Amino acid sequence: MKRLLALLLVLLAAGPAFGQTVVQTDNVRAELLADVAAVKPGEPFWVGLRQTIRPKWHTYWKNPGESGLPTEIKWTLPEGVKADPIVWPTPHLYDIGGVINYGFQNEAMLLVRITPAADLSGGSLKLAAEANWLVCEDVCIPEDGKFELSLPIAAAATPAAPATRAIFDKARQSVPTESPWPARYGVAKSGDPTLIVEAKGLKPEMVRDVYFFPAEWGPIASMARQTASVGADGIRIPLKRGDAKTALPERLAGTLVLTEKTADGEIRQAFDVSAKLDPAFLPSSSLAAADGNEQLSLVQALLFALLGGLILNLMPCVFPVLAMKAAGFVALAGHERSVMRRDGIAYTAGVLVSFAAMAAIVVVIRSGVGEVNWGFQFQSPVFSLLIAYLFFVVGLNLSGIFEIGGRFAGVGQGLAARGGTTGAFFTGVLAVIVATPCTVPFMAAALGFALSQPAPQTVAVLLALGLGLALPYLVLTTTPALQRLMPRPGPWMDRLRQFLAFPMYASAVWMIWVLTQQTGADGVIYALGGMILIAFAIWLLRIGSGASLATWLRRGLAAAAVLLAFGAALKLEDSPATAASASGPTAGVNFDGWERFSRDRLNQAVAAGKPVFVDFTAAWCITCLVNERVALETPAVRRAFEQAGVVKLKGDWTNRDPEITSSLKELGRAGVPLYLFWGPGAERPRILPQVLTESLILAELSSIEQAKR
Amino acid sequence: MSTIVVPRRSLMLGGAAAALMPAMSFAASPDLGKAAPLFTAVDSNGKTWSLADLKGKVVVLETTNHDCPYVRKHYSAKNMQTQQREAAAKGVVWLTLASSATGQEGYVTAQQANELTRSRDAAPAAVLLDPQSKIARAYGATVTPHMYIIDKTGTLVYKGGIDSIPSADIADIAKAKQYVRVGLDEVLAGKPVSDSSTRPYGCSLKYPRTSS
Repeated sequence: MKRLLALLLVLLAAGPAFGQTVVQTDNVRAELLADVAAVKPGEPFWVGLRQTIRPKWHTYWKNPGESGLPTEIKWTLPEGVKADPIVWPTPHLYDIGGVINYGFQNEAMLLVRITPAADLSGGSLKLAAEANWLVCEDVCIPEDGKFELSLPIAAAATPAAPATRAIFDKARQSVPTESPWPARYGVAKSGDPTLIVEAKGLKPEMVRDVYFFPAEWGPIASMARQTASVGADGIRIPLKRGDAKTALPERLAGTLVLTEKTADGEIRQAFDVSAKLDPAFLPSSSLAAADGNEQLSLVQALLFALLGGLILNLMPCVFPVLAMKAAGFVALAGHERSVMRRDGIAYTAGVLVSFAAMAAIVVVIRSGVGEVNWGFQFQSPVFSLLIAYLFFVVGLNLSGIFEIGGRFAGVGQGLAARGGTTGAFFTGVLAVIVATPCTVPFMAAALGFALSQPAPQTVAVLLALGLGLALPYLVLTTTPALQRLMPRPGPWMDRLRQFLAFPMYASAVWMIWVLTQQTGADGVIYALGGMILIAFAIWLLRIGSGASLATWLRRGLAAAAVLLAFGAALKLEDSPATAASASGPTAGVNFDGWERFSRDRLNQAVAAGKPVFVDFTAAWCITCLVNERVALETPAVRRAFEQAGVVKLKGDWTNRDPEITSSLKELGRAGVPLYLFWGPGAERPRILPQVLTESLILAELSSIEQAKR
Repeated sequence: MSTIVVPRRSLMLGGAAAALMPAMSFAASPDLGKAAPLFTAVDSNGKTWSLADLKGKVVVLETTNHDCPYVRKHYSAKNMQTQQREAAAKGVVWLTLASSATGQEGYVTAQQANELTRSRDAAPAAVLLDPQSKIARAYGATVTPHMYIIDKTGTLVYKGGIDSIPSADIADIAKAKQYVRVGLDEVLAGKPVSDSSTRPYGCSLKYPRTSS
């Protein structure tokens, strides 16, 4: 009997003592791992349940989506030992016959931080866990396993074997980082929330997929498609309200996943977002035409566009053109009605044809690139400069400095100034060209609709916009009753014309301001200098005519002046400003603890045999931002940089910088992020991976420490 | 200068999903307090049922897939059958929806459905055959079992899970709040359902694989 009891005891003891760390089920191999080989009492460490999942099958995230269940771990731990909740890797989205699931394929490492008691005693710490998970392909199988991990207790913690540490490193990399951007959300009248992540200055063309994984079932329906948009002021994600009956929470939590296109391929980044409910923010689904009830109908959009077009006539950018038009109209006063009508119709045709052309461009670009920014042409500083010149020249013309039809007065104005029907047509074209930058704030809804619609709708909305723009003049020229209100021609016409020059000058000033936004203060020099040159050229040409040598000399000089003025435009294209002048106070790149990159400084530091670390970054580069947060700016790395005496240089490529561009090119790179490291005395740099980890940098730095010894 | 950025098609996650979704055209799950989507279907005995004809009666809908572990949990513990009997005794019409699409897990013929009712000792008023998942889709069902209660006026008053503990463990049934049972009692007492929208849990509903 005694022996039997002893045997039983042995068996009982043997069970847990030889508890397994690996469980193999039909669909999952699960293993419990620790990132330490020995535990120090009171010092937290990490364990992970590593699921290796049968191909094409998946297990679930903390919010499993519309079906499924998350993996659960129940711990049995000695007194005083604490296990935190699971830290989940970034989920993926799986569409199971239309039912959206959030989870993991192939492999998932679920991290848990364990805090052993400070007074932990005995030879080893026994961690027992019961885990259950649901694994699905088309069909779902609940599986479970019992795990046991025994770790020796020691005076100092010992790290696990390198292979295990590598698994943990990889796992930590796939955990979302805290969002570097504030987020808020608002609720539309329909009850559907819209999330705004204030990631200012992102470049939409650099961001591919954007998806918000809500942290829990209820507030947000996982079923609805998300049509996120990336704009200058951040990421906007219209969401669909979920089935939970309760009010939307004060804070909406979830994981934002974006795929960033970088020079070396696409990188998936994940951020934990906690968006505060913003009662003042009442989203209308205008910008990102999501599938919602709030979407504009086509008829509404056309009406808005027509109205918007009418309002455009009052906009500062269109007003000068209208001023021209008014001057022209005044000149027509007293003419035959048919002449007037023809003029009005030609102007309308000019407007509509331009809008149609723009619609065509939008449709073509969209089918090619997949995205269009309204006002995209105004992002080119050259365009801004040329428009500023145009306004200036038209202003000079209205002031009477030179006569209409001047040969050097710029093509657009030249054509517009041409008399008769052609002139009216091109005035219409000009009106549209200068109107586009104004359309944005007023036309957001209709344009957003137009640009997100199939081609016919895009064209229809843009044409309605054009019709609205042309309508006042069209009505004026075709309604005899209105024409009768016009005063008789007389000297007042000249005075009005001269007065109208001033709004033109004002517009030129505004365009120069736009230019400075794009290029920094240098733009002012080029623009104003160019204007002086143009004025000089006009003056030269007005001095006299004839075939004399002096005349030809003057003409040559004038041509040179104009060429120089336009040369300024090319110069702008070459060097769109330095980072400091262009981005001003909104610059997102933080130089704290870093020196600004320059070739000279780099060469000097390398020549001096110092270790040098170069970080090429940009405010719009999400991956750069993440690397800084998780690897370059952690206290441990900062300390290590300091101890190793590394010269830290940061190149800000937010605005293209020729010195950085050429450096990137030399290394065969097309963009950021790029990280270079010169060991002490090294001639050539090591190019570090595009995705950094703290341990990687520390390893890099410790290698030079070892080399020193 | 502000610019509008156009949402790109590519931003819609999952190209395949996007391609499938329009065809799937998931009506977002119907709103509580509104008329429940009407349907007409044939049951496993060849009888035609129409929701419109059931006005004046409280109706329960239960999506099922007999091979789903979560459905099995509630059938092997007799939880589902017990609630079906309780409901029948109170004059409630309990309709089990065999909504797995043809060829998918859980798809049953009329004969198989009857055999399952017999072998599981189930007691629904009828098992409706929904091989194209049409009823499931109209109700935005995502899982099996996904439960709905429709009151005497034809208004949807409950949607969600069968109970409050999402697990495949039979032992949890006793600990869970049985939402459908509580909800039915409230409806029959003329009271509003207190937990009217709960988290459904279970296997993905097996919709037709290709868009139809």
